[in-house]
Amino acid sequence: MSNNWEMVIGLEVHAQLKTSSKLFSSSPNQFGSEPNENVNFIDSGMPGMLPVMNFGCIEMAIKTGYALNFKINKHSVFERKNYFYPDLPQGYQISQFEFPILSEGYINIESGDNQKKIRIERAHLEQDAGKSIHDIDPKYSFIDLNRVGTPLLEIVSYPDLSSADEVINYMSSLRQLLMYIDVCDGNMQEGSLRADVNLSVRKKGQELGTRCEIKNLNSFKFIKQAIEYEFQRQINIIDGGGEIEQNTMLFDTSTGETRAMRSKEFSHDYRYFPDPDLLPVNLSQEQIDKIKPLVGELPQDKLNKYLDNYSLDKDIAKIIIAEKQNANLFEKMISESTVKPKFIAAWLVGDIFAFIKENNLEVNSLNDKTKDITDLLRLISDDVISNKAGKEILPKVLNGEGKPSELVKELGLEQVSDSGELEKIIDEALVGEEENILKFQGGSDRVLGYFVGKCLKATKGKGNPKLINKILLERLKK
Amino acid sequence: MKNSISQIKKALIEKKISVGELYDEYLAKAKSGNNNSFNLVIDRENNISSINDSQNRYDNGNPLPLDGIPLGIKDLFCTKGIRTTASSKILSNFIPNYESFVTQQLLNDGSIFIGKNNCDEFAMGSSNETSYFGPVINPWKNKNSQKDNLVPGGSSGGSAAAVAEGSCVASMGTDTGGSIRQPASLCGIVGLKPTFGSCSRWGIVAFASSLDQAGPLTNCVEDAAYILNSINKHDFNDSTSSNHQREDYLVDINNSFEKKIKIGIPSDYLEDVSDDILNQIDNTKKALSKHGIEFVDVKFKTTEYALSTYYILAPAEASSNLARYDGIRYGVREDGESLDDIYLNSRTKGFGDEVTRRILIGAYVLSAGYYDAYYRQAQKVRRLIKNDFQRILNEVDFILTPTTPNEAFKIGDKLDPISMYKNDIYTVPTSLAGLPGISIPSGLSKNGLPLGVQFIGNYFEEKSLLQLAALAEKELSFNE
Amino acid sequence: MSDIDIKRISYLAKLKLPSEKEEFYSNSLKDIIKWVDNLKKVDTSKTEPLHNVTEKTVSIRNDEVSKSNSVDDVLSNAPERAQNFFKVPKVVE
Repeated sequence: MSNNWEMVIGLEVHAQLKTSSKLFSSSPNQFGSEPNENVNFIDSGMPGMLPVMNFGCIEMAIKTGYALNFKINKHSVFERKNYFYPDLPQGYQISQFEFPILSEGYINIESGDNQKKIRIERAHLEQDAGKSIHDIDPKYSFIDLNRVGTPLLEIVSYPDLSSADEVINYMSSLRQLLMYIDVCDGNMQEGSLRADVNLSVRKKGQELGTRCEIKNLNSFKFIKQAIEYEFQRQINIIDGGGEIEQNTMLFDTSTGETRAMRSKEFSHDYRYFPDPDLLPVNLSQEQIDKIKPLVGELPQDKLNKYLDNYSLDKDIAKIIIAEKQNANLFEKMISESTVKPKFIAAWLVGDIFAFIKENNLEVNSLNDKTKDITDLLRLISDDVISNKAGKEILPKVLNGEGKPSELVKELGLEQVSDSGELEKIIDEALVGEEENILKFQGGSDRVLGYFVGKCLKATKGKGNPKLINKILLERLKK
Repeated sequence: MKNSISQIKKALIEKKISVGELYDEYLAKAKSGNNNSFNLVIDRENNISSINDSQNRYDNGNPLPLDGIPLGIKDLFCTKGIRTTASSKILSNFIPNYESFVTQQLLNDGSIFIGKNNCDEFAMGSSNETSYFGPVINPWKNKNSQKDNLVPGGSSGGSAAAVAEGSCVASMGTDTGGSIRQPASLCGIVGLKPTFGSCSRWGIVAFASSLDQAGPLTNCVEDAAYILNSINKHDFNDSTSSNHQREDYLVDINNSFEKKIKIGIPSDYLEDVSDDILNQIDNTKKALSKHGIEFVDVKFKTTEYALSTYYILAPAEASSNLARYDGIRYGVREDGESLDDIYLNSRTKGFGDEVTRRILIGAYVLSAGYYDAYYRQAQKVRRLIKNDFQRILNEVDFILTPTTPNEAFKIGDKLDPISMYKNDIYTVPTSLAGLPGISIPSGLSKNGLPLGVQFIGNYFEEKSLLQLAALAEKELSFNE
Repeated sequence: MSDIDIKRISYLAKLKLPSEKEEFYSNSLKDIIKWVDNLKKVDTSKTEPLHNVTEKTVSIRNDEVSKSNSVDDVLSNAPERAQNFFKVPKVVE
């Protein structure tokens, strides 16, 4: 990092809400459809059309309020943000300005080895705009209005972020939370989550500098690149004696550079005013309270539970809570068996996730196999079969090829754990081995391994190695 | 005396005339009329199935409430498959694929549309002189200067002229600051603006969303009740549509009031008015006094601020509502090198002077630095105006005012916008408060031109308002 | 009262006033703004803005999809279209 220069960053994150229909029209809220297929007359701004609010969006906003520690405002107002653009049919976007539905929230993120609180100024509901395609024809642009009216929650942080890493941590925590509470699908490639980065620089102890806004970043990689480039760009200007112009920037993904958008003749003036086609939102405490139980357990709560109640390793716990479907699978298995959670976790994060990755599956596709999986894990943890045998059977169980106990029989993988039987075999193995026995009693551990191997061979590999070891030791000590 | 809906229905039921013959009669009048009251007239062939269906219902003895009644529709209502222009160049080629809620109700009740009535462009005007299709001429003439063409009022000037000249039985108009009541007064007919929220705005080209209301222009009060029965319904597609229980507006319309009625006359409305206007109020008082109705003097505190409030709020909303007219998805597109040029050319060439003026005012009063002093202040004063009405309606049951400060004037007379805006002085306050108001013709001026009086009722009290208006209408005998 | 920046206002409204008309509209606006200025006299310090005359709470609908209009319905009035898109001159950002 350049000497004494700090970056000061605030993030505006736009999250598309997972409702079935749009915010103010009942058109389908869907990605990837044919152009202009999910558009009705309200979306296309025909004369005389009027908005009607989808209450599902309010419910999702309230859930988000709980998850991000916001104050949930009972009174909020939809206002028109007036500007002209071809993907904005009405010539205004319905948003919230003076009275947003959520204010003064925060989340904690990891910053280095510590936790840092990132304060969030507000979150409000607004319509998404359509899409213009500029690059398939030299003379024309083409407009698809499918996305017009899709509900967005715009989440605006305070400029509390001080590095690209913090920004990534913030963004990914936000994404995780929104996915946990089932409010956003987090699919950044499809544009479900986008960020505008507001960045300014200053030397330690100085006043805030002039910021530039980099719009519409939709991947962690681009966010990081854009921040690093812009940081350097601003430093270079100031070091060279210049001043930062407040600009709206675009990030060119092919060159890795930010550049100012074409400057307009006059600055924007959105002329916000309350939308006269809509009435104010006035929520009752009851309506707000009703949503609380739907929020469910959040990642931090799960992490604490896993560490405190199940004594999981922190790293393993973090892998499990990273995605809600991981946690769901894990918790389902715990609830369906008496196998120790720690044991389940180790197998989940190891062999089971490896299987999922290799076979390109969704984690939740295993939800109907949890009984079989835990039955298998029971057999392993009870020493009925060895770890090695378990690893062999696991893929078959995950592929639904049969129940664990059946597979064990079919493949002849039961360990011999009958002490009596093992004692006989061991005693036989020790016959004629007086020399080696003396060696062992003289301090040679290698001999033990030799004896264990001999006994395993005699059991054709099915002997329970731990038990063989134990009994051998008893015999040899005599 | 023109035929009322109930008289026409009687004639249709008694087979004195067929639905087709009735339609032909009105169509001929609409086509031959030279008052320019229609932007579009619908030939018989294009309505033939409606005419036949209607006749069948009469033949089977089960006609719908407005069956076969030929109506004019202000060219602000989107009518499916029928050109809808808002009397503007920018929509001069627009054919909607949907039917407005209000006109759908009228169709459901069996009425047949004769055509789309001319109006002020985007409903902005008080004289029907801003229409792209040319001004509408008032069927009435000043007896002292017969050659002059007079304005019918606006913005529903075409609707009022059509009803007055007899080319439709009634017309559907809209009222934002007086656009039904004022032309009704200048054309000697009845015009009703219902309470804000009673009739759906869905499918009506929006001017000022917090003020626009659909309402009927008719020959008599009873006809207004017929139409109100049809259109006054809750529409869940309009978020400002009220979901209260509606009443039957016809059932008691000719009854006298059971309890004693008190009507307030605002003295501040009558300062500096002509004798013609004062006479209307006096005649109305006399006509109603014999029914034991008490008249009291009331005084508003906010009258002098009403026009300013309106001419800030309405243009502000309009500037935003008209942003969608850009030549991209519908309407007339002008050429341009760049997208921006298309926007600029289509809009600048597509809108007339008055619309341009109001869009500019609207943009100004909403812009940074001016929002608080103008728009926000106007919203606050609007609350004061509303409270003022509520205070007075706590003391009286209805309010009686003149509808217009003057009779119909010559086309081209009022070139200055502000003098035109002052036409709305008696109607605008009611709109700001959202209350229902009805204008009935009360007498003639010295020049033989019609003048009207306005009754204002309390929220959603259209039933008793119509009852009162019917009573006054009977006593004033304007049409005889 | 400060001068009205007619160029800026018409820019915001996406109107390109012919230069010979700029003064006409500018004067018009000045007159009207002066006329409505009487509102400044009113003491509204204790008054809330009236958002909507019905003073009710927002109408809501449940999160349900109902058929959008067909692509042809939506595009049928478009002055220029290309397959199922609206077509406009290229926009440069």
